Amino acid sequence: MQLGQLERSCRCIISIEAMEAILVDCVQNSRRHLLYRNAIFICERLCAEFPSETNLQLLAGCYLQNNQAYSVYHILKGRQMAQSRYLFAISCFQMDLLNEAEAALYPVNDPSTEVPNGAAGHYLLGLIYRCTDRRKSAIHHFKQALSIDPLLWAAYEELCILGAAEESTLVFGESASLCIQKQHLHHGVDYENLQASNEDHNLVSGGNFGSEDVSPRKFKHMNANNVRDIPGNYHGGVATGGAASQPLTNGPANISFYNTPSPMATQLSGVAPPPVCKNVQPNGPNAGLLGVEGSPRSTVNSTLQAPRRKFVDEGKLRKISGRLFSDSGARRSTRLAGEAGTNTNSNPTAATGNGASHSSKYLGGSKFSSLTFRSVTVRKGQSWANENFEEGIRHEVYDDSHSNVTTSSSSPSGDIRSFEQGATTMPMGGVVTSGSRVISGASEILALLRSLGEGYRLSCMYRCQDALDVYLKLPQKHYNTGWVLSQVGKAYFELVDYLEADRAFGLARLASPYSLEGMDIYSTVLYHLKEDMKLSYMAQELISTDRLAPQSWCAMGNCYSLQKDHESALKNFQRAVQLNSRFAYAHTLCGHEYVALEDFENGIKSYQHALRIDARHYNAWYGLGMIYLRQEKFEFSEHHFQVAFQINPHSSVIMSYLGTAFHALKRSEGSFGDDGEGYFSR
Amino acid sequence: MAESSEGEEEAKLTGGNQHLVVDDDLREMAKKAAWSVSSCKPGNGVLSLRDDNLDTYWQSDGAQPHLVNIQFQKKVKLQLVVLYVDFKLDESYTPSKISIRAGDGFHNLKEIKTVELVKPTGWVYISLSGNDPRETFVNTFMLQIAVLSNHLNGRDTHVRQIKVYGPRPNPIPHQPFHFTSREFITYSTVR
Repeated sequence: MQLGQLERSCRCIISIEAMEAILVDCVQNSRRHLLYRNAIFICERLCAEFPSETNLQLLAGCYLQNNQAYSVYHILKGRQMAQSRYLFAISCFQMDLLNEAEAALYPVNDPSTEVPNGAAGHYLLGLIYRCTDRRKSAIHHFKQALSIDPLLWAAYEELCILGAAEESTLVFGESASLCIQKQHLHHGVDYENLQASNEDHNLVSGGNFGSEDVSPRKFKHMNANNVRDIPGNYHGGVATGGAASQPLTNGPANISFYNTPSPMATQLSGVAPPPVCKNVQPNGPNAGLLGVEGSPRSTVNSTLQAPRRKFVDEGKLRKISGRLFSDSGARRSTRLAGEAGTNTNSNPTAATGNGASHSSKYLGGSKFSSLTFRSVTVRKGQSWANENFEEGIRHEVYDDSHSNVTTSSSSPSGDIRSFEQGATTMPMGGVVTSGSRVISGASEILALLRSLGEGYRLSCMYRCQDALDVYLKLPQKHYNTGWVLSQVGKAYFELVDYLEADRAFGLARLASPYSLEGMDIYSTVLYHLKEDMKLSYMAQELISTDRLAPQSWCAMGNCYSLQKDHESALKNFQRAVQLNSRFAYAHTLCGHEYVALEDFENGIKSYQHALRIDARHYNAWYGLGMIYLRQEKFEFSEHHFQVAFQINPHSSVIMSYLGTAFHALKRSEGSFGDDGEGYFSR
Repeated sequence: MAESSEGEEEAKLTGGNQHLVVDDDLREMAKKAAWSVSSCKPGNGVLSLRDDNLDTYWQSDGAQPHLVNIQFQKKVKLQLVVLYVDFKLDESYTPSKISIRAGDGFHNLKEIKTVELVKPTGWVYISLSGNDPRETFVNTFMLQIAVLSNHLNGRDTHVRQIKVYGPRPNPIPHQPFHFTSREFITYSTVR
């Protein structure tokens, strides 16, 4: 009877868990297919049925992808989990509630809390600090973000804009390469979780490449002595994994650096039998449920159940792990040792297709190995607490491997279905996994980023000719892209070479006609060249591409300004400002129009607004200088032209105005004597 | 449309353009000015002079001369006054003799131009340039347009729209000349 009751309650619990698992799976499916309304609806039902913070995070992710930052604000306010804080901060940032965003990421009264989501969290914090004028802190956080994840280009971009970027060879150099390799080879869980967008299911929260977030969670679950093992494995460390696998594997023991074996999917599919799944219960979040599930069984009939389970577990584990370690161990070592120089057995079936699975299984495998080792030893201790512990741990491990296996969704539904699913759909997005290939891939990426980064850094410092030289060294296929070409165009623009800028921007528009980046500068180039036809055509095109981009309205405003209709131009620039109040150039253009309408007071306000956003916006400094020149406040105007000149020393126009100001101050000896001739000097 | 002759002699203007065509180097000055009239009929006030609507008009309601005063906050250069009047619609309300005065205020206005309109039907251009070819504009605080008499001896007058033009400011301050070639203009400012 007791067994019957037990079965019923088990089934009930299993069905509840299955319900949650199915809902989660459905939500992720919808998100993957970009069906946000469906995702939101199902997710709201999920949260109503199973209120838990993790489900709330999932819902928040759905809202954010549907541009409902305000909803996220309300559901995640006050939550303390790392991923919740991160999502809350993102929503606050989008709603311009910067102090709340900052408090979420970096609580004032608890400065020791770690910034959630590693690199992404630091980057967001950096943005907040930049928006609130705390330059040094912003720089610090961007640098942190880059050191955690060297591929976070956006952080490097921000550093360049702030004028605090180191040379790209340092940032995208050796240490970055090592970092990438480390991340990539421990890639699996992170990658999958990323793809399933920010689910804090198991160990890793979305957007996190580093292994840092993984370790802390692990810590929570581990005994003290276990803790040492896992991190050791992560950091490419040494023998613990290997040691663990020793008794279980007949593969070679002299495995080099990354010796964490990972299960081979195709083999697993054969191996994944129903009994295994019984042990493997779904989600990380349901790990708690797991405990629940485990306990009724155990409490009712502990003496009976426990040993049987133990037996089953051990047997299955042995079987699986044996397979895993024997094959994969060899394979991995072959690959890695290929460059490390050690030679081991090579498994002919070490197809690259399966190679993909390896990296993904890495994490699972490593934990697996050390855990199985532990499970073997601890079992002897026979303490119930330990058993539970292991169950939990093992389930996590399984979850990891499951999440690794399933390419698309990391919903650890933990049943055969997902397992096999994963098994059949192996390579995850072409992730390269063998050690040497990772290294070469990383180095290629870094070489590319070095060039781009150096070019961007130089152009932010207005060393435009050097930037152009760097960009020219890029391979053709990268040079002929919208981004690079518009950077080239911008560099020519700063050099006052409008004809070349026109050419470069024209090519950029051909390469990416949908891209609006830098088109505001292009419209100014056309304004200077008085190409009203081209300008109005481009403005129309931009507006039809994206009505909500400030660049489109800047182009339109330039069009009106060219026709001397300054009021309409001003309206258009004000529209651009409304669309994005942190778009400095729109403010500067407003200033120019105010000046053309002889409204100097508002002109000064607009220029100052622009400077508040970007203190290195030399056009605004120039604009202020011009106003003061008109008002005959020559000292002021000279100061402003001086600042503008220091920012961009290659602009002949600024040079000549500086000369004018000097001349007006009767300080002819300080002028460059090229008031008029400056126009065509380069 | 006949050109007005130089100086303060009376000039006869006939006809009138249906379309308002103004040089590119001129711009409308009157947005920054305060406009007032000597008298008006309710519903046909000074706003109708500035509403860009040719169907609405200002109707005076008092003794001649009827005055339109345009006062600026600072001295501005003015070059051209354009009125829209239509004999076919307004007949005896159409102004016939117009005197333009300029000065610092009501106390020292001086007449700078007089024109006589003969059955005008549209936009009438009145240039404010002096005799001297170097005096292309008049630099003043205030402009007064006085309607001295109407067609067919009408007492009150209708004027449908008035615009006042002056030169654009030099984009390069403290430079006595304007660049004219495209290339010079291209490289003359930072935007």
